[in-house]
Amino acid sequence: MSGRSTPLSSHASQRATSNHASQRASRNLSQIRRVQVNGSVLPAELIATILDYLPVPDLLHFAQVSRRLQEMVYDDSRWVQKLKQMGLWNENEARQRFEEAMKRKAEAQRAREVEEARRTGANLPGSINGTAGGGPRRHAGSVTIFDAGLEEDRYRQSLEKAQSPTLTRKRTIADGFDDLTISLNPQLNASTWNPNTALTVFATFRSVRGRARQEFSKIYGALGPLYSDLTRVKSHSDAIIFRTYRDPEQQAQILSNLKRFAQGDVAQGWHQREQRLDSMIAVFENAVLREFEQGYAAGDIDDRMHRYAHVLVTMNGGMAGVDAFISNHPIMAHNVRAGNPLDCLESVAPGHVDLNASQTFFERLAGMMVEQAAIIDRVFPPSVDVLTPFLSRLCEDIVADYLTALFDEAHVHGVETYVKAVSGTFEQALRFVASLQPTEASPSDFRDAAKTTVTRCYEKHIDLYLAEELAVFRSKSEADVRQWEREQSEQEASSDAFFMSNINRQAAKRDFLSSFRKVIMMPVTVLPAFPLSSPFAAAKPAQSIANPNAPDLDSIDTAYSRSRTPTVADSNTPNRSSTPVPAGEAPTTELAAKAAIMNSRLEGIKSLFSIEVALNITHFAKASLERAANMVRMGGKWGEEAREQCETIFVTLLYILGDRHIKTGFDKAVSHLGSYNPRDVRALRSKVANGDSGEAHAVGVEPLVTFLELVNVGDLIQQMVDVFYAQELVATKLSDRDDFLDPAVKEKKRFEQMLDERVAAGLNEGIDVLMDEVEYICASTQQAIDFNPGTDKAEKNGPGVMDIGPTTTARQVVDMISSHTSMLVGNTDKNMLDVFMQEVGLRLFGALCKHFKRQRISVDGAIKLISDINHYSAFVATLRQKPLLPYYHALRELGQIYLVHIDPPAAYFSANAQGKRASVLSNRGSSTAVQAKELATIIADTQRYHGIFPAEEVYEFAERRADWYLVKRDVERAMYGVGCIVV
Amino acid sequence: MSATEAEQQVKLVSSDNVEIITERKVAERSMLIKNMIEDLGAPGEEPIPIMNVSEAVLRKVLEWCSHHKNDPAPTQDDDADSRKKTTDIEDWDQKFMQVDQEMLFEIILAANYMDIKALLDVGCKTVANMIKGKSPEEIRKTFNIQNDFTPEEEEQIRRENEWAEDR
Repeated sequence: MSGRSTPLSSHASQRATSNHASQRASRNLSQIRRVQVNGSVLPAELIATILDYLPVPDLLHFAQVSRRLQEMVYDDSRWVQKLKQMGLWNENEARQRFEEAMKRKAEAQRAREVEEARRTGANLPGSINGTAGGGPRRHAGSVTIFDAGLEEDRYRQSLEKAQSPTLTRKRTIADGFDDLTISLNPQLNASTWNPNTALTVFATFRSVRGRARQEFSKIYGALGPLYSDLTRVKSHSDAIIFRTYRDPEQQAQILSNLKRFAQGDVAQGWHQREQRLDSMIAVFENAVLREFEQGYAAGDIDDRMHRYAHVLVTMNGGMAGVDAFISNHPIMAHNVRAGNPLDCLESVAPGHVDLNASQTFFERLAGMMVEQAAIIDRVFPPSVDVLTPFLSRLCEDIVADYLTALFDEAHVHGVETYVKAVSGTFEQALRFVASLQPTEASPSDFRDAAKTTVTRCYEKHIDLYLAEELAVFRSKSEADVRQWEREQSEQEASSDAFFMSNINRQAAKRDFLSSFRKVIMMPVTVLPAFPLSSPFAAAKPAQSIANPNAPDLDSIDTAYSRSRTPTVADSNTPNRSSTPVPAGEAPTTELAAKAAIMNSRLEGIKSLFSIEVALNITHFAKASLERAANMVRMGGKWGEEAREQCETIFVTLLYILGDRHIKTGFDKAVSHLGSYNPRDVRALRSKVANGDSGEAHAVGVEPLVTFLELVNVGDLIQQMVDVFYAQELVATKLSDRDDFLDPAVKEKKRFEQMLDERVAAGLNEGIDVLMDEVEYICASTQQAIDFNPGTDKAEKNGPGVMDIGPTTTARQVVDMISSHTSMLVGNTDKNMLDVFMQEVGLRLFGALCKHFKRQRISVDGAIKLISDINHYSAFVATLRQKPLLPYYHALRELGQIYLVHIDPPAAYFSANAQGKRASVLSNRGSSTAVQAKELATIIADTQRYHGIFPAEEVYEFAERRADWYLVKRDVERAMYGVGCIVV
Repeated sequence: MSATEAEQQVKLVSSDNVEIITERKVAERSMLIKNMIEDLGAPGEEPIPIMNVSEAVLRKVLEWCSHHKNDPAPTQDDDADSRKKTTDIEDWDQKFMQVDQEMLFEIILAANYMDIKALLDVGCKTVANMIKGKSPEEIRKTFNIQNDFTPEEEEQIRRENEWAEDR
């Protein structure tokens, strides 16, 4: 900072005394080097900045001022930068040349350089490092050497290397100069200035490090005069270029070169100069363009159009020519109409669109494009891609207009028309893209680019489209559900006690069933499992339902037959809706019978939810998804959006199907189950229809049956949804099954969960209801004489003919439970089913115990009881629930306490028939006390009952013996006498 | 920067230990000062030393700053296109730069030190304009530079660069 004080004083002395020293010092302080311009010291970087503002001639004047300034001006990087601005300098090429040169120079050569440098170094006392800003020239080698060797050597050596990596021969200014003047001489002289050089100067350019200034000088020498002339002349007719070059191709080339040259002009005033140049170019371009257009009008493809297209391309890439070519096309100029968008909407039914018209439109465009591609190949050089801008203009001007008009009109016609039009035309547009022929100049990704261009026409529509698509789907399906709900509520209003009792209907159904059975008995039994599930169908519990697949297949059949024939009758006669065959008119063919049964079966759940509605909704969803999936092919952001919308449609489908439709159905079924009271129903029913005794004992917990039906159908719908998902979303790559964050997958899971939850809730209620029913059956059908035949002999034919086998009560109970449980098999989650079965078994067990404790059982009746118990336990065994088995085993053991024959005490008359069939234990006819003791042993033997029954409870059972009061004393004595039991 | 911050006064100390109080907004045309204030916090209390700039130059620089205090902040990508900076000097700046050469250089150095890009540009352009259109000899005179070429060398360089001469 010391030299900064005065501009005049320190200059000379500093220069004289500390030339080398200061430079060396400053080199060591590398970054803060300063160069004296005059008294004040400006850092080299500031001088470099100043030089950036100088025009080339002044720059070179500046170089002539002193050696130091010459170094700065000659700095290669300065010229490299200028060449870069012209877009000429190729760093890779330069590096390659440089490395080649480095290779060629072996160590020996470098040694020679050092020698030379030593020798010449003396002549250049003032030479300093010129690499102030010369980043590119500073290579690792020189730096290392610089740091390592003797200071003097190091300095010169690095200087040498930095200055002339390729020009090994010269070191002095004169050397460089010689080299330069040889190459420049022809151009330096105005008289020998060769116009051809200006044409080809860029072609001969080479990127060589250390020679950037020389290369620049060539270019400047060739173009500079023309440039400065052009920026000075008044009108284009005066300009040298238009006088020198007559050929339009050459003129174009020169103008193009000058335009490029002007990029390197950064001195003040460049803006005005460039404007002048631009206006010159514009004038020239217009003239050429006029020629081109005339050629176009004359259809002179191979001569004039071809020639002037090439001229335009030479000059500035030919955009103007391409533009003229495109906008002069008859279709672009709107002289010819490719199609009328409104054709698509004429004479079509509401909600539909006639895509033939748009198809014609696209075909016409495709034909035109192929034709144009051929012409483009003949007119334009292969370096210019004309077809792509042509296509994009076509899309922007023609296709987009067409589509917008069509869509707007379609939207007026209706949303459904709109979505169909969008999706349909998009499909056609893609086909149009596929039919395009690329030209020679088309880039390799032409088809992709074309697709992008075409899809861009849809971009402004896609948002609305996707929203509308969802809205259409939603409104349609919701309308469907709502209509169904409305009908349902009407129906419920008209028959308030629909669930409680609808006698007429039930009677009709029974009539139908009985006549049905009469007419075709066989089909009924061979037809798989029709648990007639109308709320009041006196359904014979289907025995053959054991095959768990049967209900499924069955339901699918049902579904399809329903979907194929959505009969009007279904919806408008709520009361008798699905009983197509009136009572008495029995169906005469198996098929008709099947249909009838299916309908009646469906009727059961009709009030809850309708598989038909579900199917309809699914169909809407499918249609919407297929349309929206089309749009996914747009790719990119929009495709992604379309894909998301597809998922949204699916999610909406699940929502409407699940939450709106099925869930309410299930909830209703569950609440019906909860409010079910078999006694009330029975009472009501028997009051009205007690004449029909043949069916009266047929049992079925109707809401539960209904509910189980629901579970079946719900399962069916879930499977349907699953298939739908797999086919419509996974197969089309719209959704990834494994992506657990995917909204569609999540919603589907939720849907399944919802179903399972409903089923579980329903089953919970169902068990209660089922047990109520069991108790009801037990209470209402178990005759007093069943287990105590001795008490009412009058009604029996005699003990000998007594049937050994379960009582009707047991049969009914088992039938009822098994019919209900088997309906669940395969429809619900295995774990849930297990829990359900176990619960059923346990509760049945409890109910039976309670029931037996209410009976009075004689020794004879014990046979009956044991067969009942066996029947129950055989049934429970079929449930395959291991934990249940001990209970029923215990129950079986328990039955034996009634078998023990105890002779009545002497006071009691003994002349009864029991003696003949008395138990083994009583065979010896021993005294009451002995027998009582034996009974007591059985009662007290807790091992027998696997700990299920404590002795007291067994005792309670024993109390139900018909002869208990006669033997009680003896038994008790035996029990407490033995002392096995402590209460 | 809020209005109150803009109106804050900051204290600058020149290299010859003269305190100059100025608006914060004016001072922050200099990126050096702006960064210092941001680093120090609590401006106005601590005087900010401007070590390399004398009072006269600092006042001159601040004069420029206060005239340009409402200019848009310099953008980062100024270096991206070197053509952008070669606009003409506006009239006020031209007058402002009509100072003796020493002062001109001092201003350029101060602008460089204080990191005031716009002022540096104006200074460099002014110097460039002084060079423009002059012969080498005139340039030497203007900037008091000694010719260290031999006549032969000088002639060679002249011929070497003939290609750039306007004809």
